[in-house]
This record gives sequence, structure tokens and C-alpha cells, in this order.
Amino acid sequence: MTHNARSQRRRPAWLAPALLILPAFAVVFSIAAYSAISLFQLSTVDLTFGEPFRLAEGVGLENYQWLLTNEHSTFGATLRVTIHYLLGTLIPELLIGFAIALLLNRKMRGNSLFTAVLIIPVVLMPSMVGLIGRLYFSYDGLINFFFETFTGIRHNWYGKDLALWAVILVDIWEWTPFFILILLAGLQTLPVEPFEAARVDGASRWQSFAHLTLPMMLPLILTTLILRFMDVLRLFDVIFVMFSGGPGTTTTTLPLYVYRTTLVQRDVGRGSAASVMLIIIIVALTVILIKMRERIKFEA
Amino acid sequence: MLKVRNRPAILGNRLLDLLTIFVVAAFLFPYLFMVTSSFKTRLETFAYPPVWLFTPTLEHYHNIFDDMNILFYMKNSTIIAVCSTLLTILIAIPATYSFARYRFRYKEGIAYGFLFLQMVPGISIVFALFFIARALDLFDTHLFLIVVYLLWNVPYAIWMMRGFVEGIPVELEESAMVDGASRFKAFRLITLPLMAGGVAATAILIFIGVWNEFSLSFFLTSTEARTMPTTIAFFMTHSGIKWGPMFATATIGTLPVVVFALLVRRYFISALTFGAVKG
Repeated sequence: MTHNARSQRRRPAWLAPALLILPAFAVVFSIAAYSAISLFQLSTVDLTFGEPFRLAEGVGLENYQWLLTNEHSTFGATLRVTIHYLLGTLIPELLIGFAIALLLNRKMRGNSLFTAVLIIPVVLMPSMVGLIGRLYFSYDGLINFFFETFTGIRHNWYGKDLALWAVILVDIWEWTPFFILILLAGLQTLPVEPFEAARVDGASRWQSFAHLTLPMMLPLILTTLILRFMDVLRLFDVIFVMFSGGPGTTTTTLPLYVYRTTLVQRDVGRGSAASVMLIIIIVALTVILIKMRERIKFEA
Repeated sequence: MLKVRNRPAILGNRLLDLLTIFVVAAFLFPYLFMVTSSFKTRLETFAYPPVWLFTPTLEHYHNIFDDMNILFYMKNSTIIAVCSTLLTILIAIPATYSFARYRFRYKEGIAYGFLFLQMVPGISIVFALFFIARALDLFDTHLFLIVVYLLWNVPYAIWMMRGFVEGIPVELEESAMVDGASRFKAFRLITLPLMAGGVAATAILIFIGVWNEFSLSFFLTSTEARTMPTTIAFFMTHSGIKWGPMFATATIGTLPVVVFALLVRRYFISALTFGAVKG
């Protein structure tokens, strides 16, 4: 006992937890700090990709200013495409995913097989998914085969009007199962009593859905949306492989914009400035969403 | 009365069952079509309308193993994924224990700090990393990718495993310590075996993530350390895309991941949500 008391006096209470975290902290934050400093430095220079760094010319914050204000900058168009892509994927994925989760949340044989199958799209190699998507959406591809069978029309998915929708449809196929799996897990843990009480009181199916299921599921729905929001905003591989941002700039979301500015236009400075803004946008919006979710949780 | 009411209900349930099967099959279909296409001849992969019945051929598999040397890229992917996963777990376990079992100031702040770093898109720092790799003479090496992936993997592992440790009653450790075991011994003998399942699941999910990762690996390697996902560039030739070998590579490359994912199915929901939701 006295020994313990003495050793505690010698070693402050924070020492043990701090030492345990230290390796992880040191590794992660040093990689992050090193990259962040280099990235910020690159965002303040004028440098053509491929040239040695010593030729870089400091220009201060001009790259940021150019992206945000210059009339030739397509940064604004990129933001519009990004928002279109975000809404085009998240809304259908949530609605379809929730509907299918409700469908699967009934007693029937083979349910565990179904959830196993739904894991597959989520874990496939995205670069391969992109390439397969490219074939399926070609004029003689699988998607047009189904369109022609059911509507009699084939579409040009590679064209300016539909390329973004093709990318969106691939994402819906890949990631609706994400919503299904999480929301199904949530539905299965809902308490039974309120639903039984509602049925005794003569509530219809729709009423118990609207007044019980939905409010109880809301926090989980928001969590799932936030996680997907972060992922959609940083998605690069599938779009890169399918259309690499084209035709024109129709599938150039923010991550694609970073790539095209840095490697296609070979403008390291502006590309890095766009990278910094992408990071700020993701972190800021996610923090706002997390705060919003907390407020809704307390009200509910 | 009951019968009359129930008959449409049963019929409705059967219809819903059918709808469920149809919907799930629809999600599986693009994957199955990919796998079966890898056994089609070149002309059959292009056929419109698609060919449903065909004599399977292994020519694309011969092609990728003999001519494209796909095993080399699988070896690179395996080295990088295994090393990065093991390092991650090694670094993350003490930190996880600290977050789960100790109380200290700024704990949640530091935990969220890790989470925010996890959010940084790979593509946004990949070109900065490119310059760093060049400066350190580590471009196109396994080592650089193994270390760089830690930035995303370690926070992920901490958030995943913290829930598993917090789920183990602290009293078990305390009673061992009352019996004279040191804190480390109590952890090693009691908590570590109990969290082994969660650690294994976390490791497998990190492995899957690294195995599939594209943007960092694509821009930070060229010939020596190139991984499976980046081989897609080989199929995009001037004379068009070589679909047959691509389907064969996609089938081979996704097979271990699908098998692994099905193995850790039980942990999958917490995996998808950083441990925020239990499956």
C-alpha cells in the first residue's frame, strides 16, 4: 500500500496513458504534419509538374485567389458538379437503402445469406469497379441492353449529358448496400414494446412507421449519411478510371479537379491550393454535420 | 373471418419475399457478370445483346499469369498490405488501451484529432507525398507506401478497437491486479485474449482497405512497388481496353477480399462505422 502510494507520487497519473498513445501519436501526426507543411508550401509557389522543386517561385496566396476569383478558373463549376454528385448519390442511396432494409427486416429464410451478398459490392476493388462500369455503360454494354429491353432506347452514357449519371449509378450500386447493412442492423435492435403498444392502440403500419420507426432511426440515419458524405466527397478512383473527369469537366468533382490541375495542366501550385481547400471543406462540413446530429439527438 | 383476413396477408408476404430476392440478386448481378465474363472469349465479352450461355475458356487467366506476370503485383500488394496492417495493429493496441481504460485530460479531443486526420482525402496530399518521396529517395518503394498508409490505418484501428476493449468488463483486469498481477500482465493475460477477435477483424478490414487502395499507390509507385489495383492502367491500351484479361484480374484481385469480408461478417457493421454502430 505504502509502496503504491509512493510510486504514484513519483509518476504523475497522465504519464502511463500518454506513453501508451505516444507511438500512434508520433507516427500519425508526424506524417500528417510533414505532408501538411509540404502541401501548404507547394500551394504558395508557381511550379510546373516535372520540374525540380528549386525552380519553384513563391507567389504567396495568389493560387488561392486565382482559383476563387479568376474568370478562367473552373473551380466554381467543380463545386457544382461535386454538389450534384453528392445529392445524386446520397439521396437515392438513403431512400433505396432504407426501403430495402425494411424489406429485409422481416422473418424470412436466407436473411443471413442476403446480408452476406450485400457485403460484396462494398468491398470490391474500386479501380476495377470503375473499369467494369466503363464497359457496362458503353453503348453496347449491359446497362443499355436493359434500357433497350425495357424502354426501347439506348443512351450514350459517355456523353456530356449522362456521364455524371453513369458515375452516380455505379456509386449507387456499390454503396446502397452500405445503407442497407447499417440501417438493417439498427432496425433489428429497436425495442419491441412501443410497436406492440401502438398495435394494441390500433395504429396502422404507416402510423407506427412514421411515429416510431423513423424518429428512433433518425440518429443512425444521420450517422450513416455523415460517413457516406465524407467518402463521396473524397472519392477519386472510380470516377478517374471511368471518365477521368470528362467529357469536358462534366465529371470533375473536387478530387478530380485536384488531379487534373496538378497532373494534366501540370500546375502544382494551383493543384495544391485546391487540395488545401478540399481538406478544409471536408473537415469543416463534417464538423458542422456532427454538431447538427448532436443537436437533433438531444431534441429527439 | 381470420382466414379471410390472412390470405391476402400471406400472399402479400410471399410477394415481398420475392421482391427481396429480386432486389438482392440485382445487387449481386454486376459482380457475377464480371466473374463469368472472365471466362468468355474476346468476342463474347463484346457481344450485344450479351451472351448468357457459352463454353468457358481459361485463355485470359493464362494471359495474365504468363504474359502480364500478375503474381508480381499480387506479391507487392500482399507485402504492403500485410506489413502496413501488422505495424498498424502494433502501434494502435497500446493507444486503444489508453483511450479505453484511462481517464485523462483532452482524451476525446485527441481521439477526434485522430479521426479528423483519417478524413483527409488521399488525393489531396498524394502530390505533396510525391515530392517528399522523391526528396527522401523513397519513390516506388514498398516502405514508403507501408508508412504512408499508417496515417489512415492507425486512427481507424484505434476507433474500431476502442469499442471492443470498452466492451470487456474492467473488473476482470482489476481482480487480476488484486491477485498481484501488474497492469501489463493483467492486460496480456485477460484483456488481450478477449479482444483477439476484434483485433483480427480490424486487421482483416485494414488489409482489405490497403489491398483496394488506388490513388496513393497509383501516383507513388511506377514499376517496382506497383500494386494490384493500379494494374488497370495496363488494360487501357491505344487499341482499346483488353476486357478479357481485365475481368480475369478483377476476379482474382477481388477474390481474397470477398472471402475475407465474408469471414468477418459479424464485425462488418462496426467496421463500416468506425465502431460507432454495433452489428
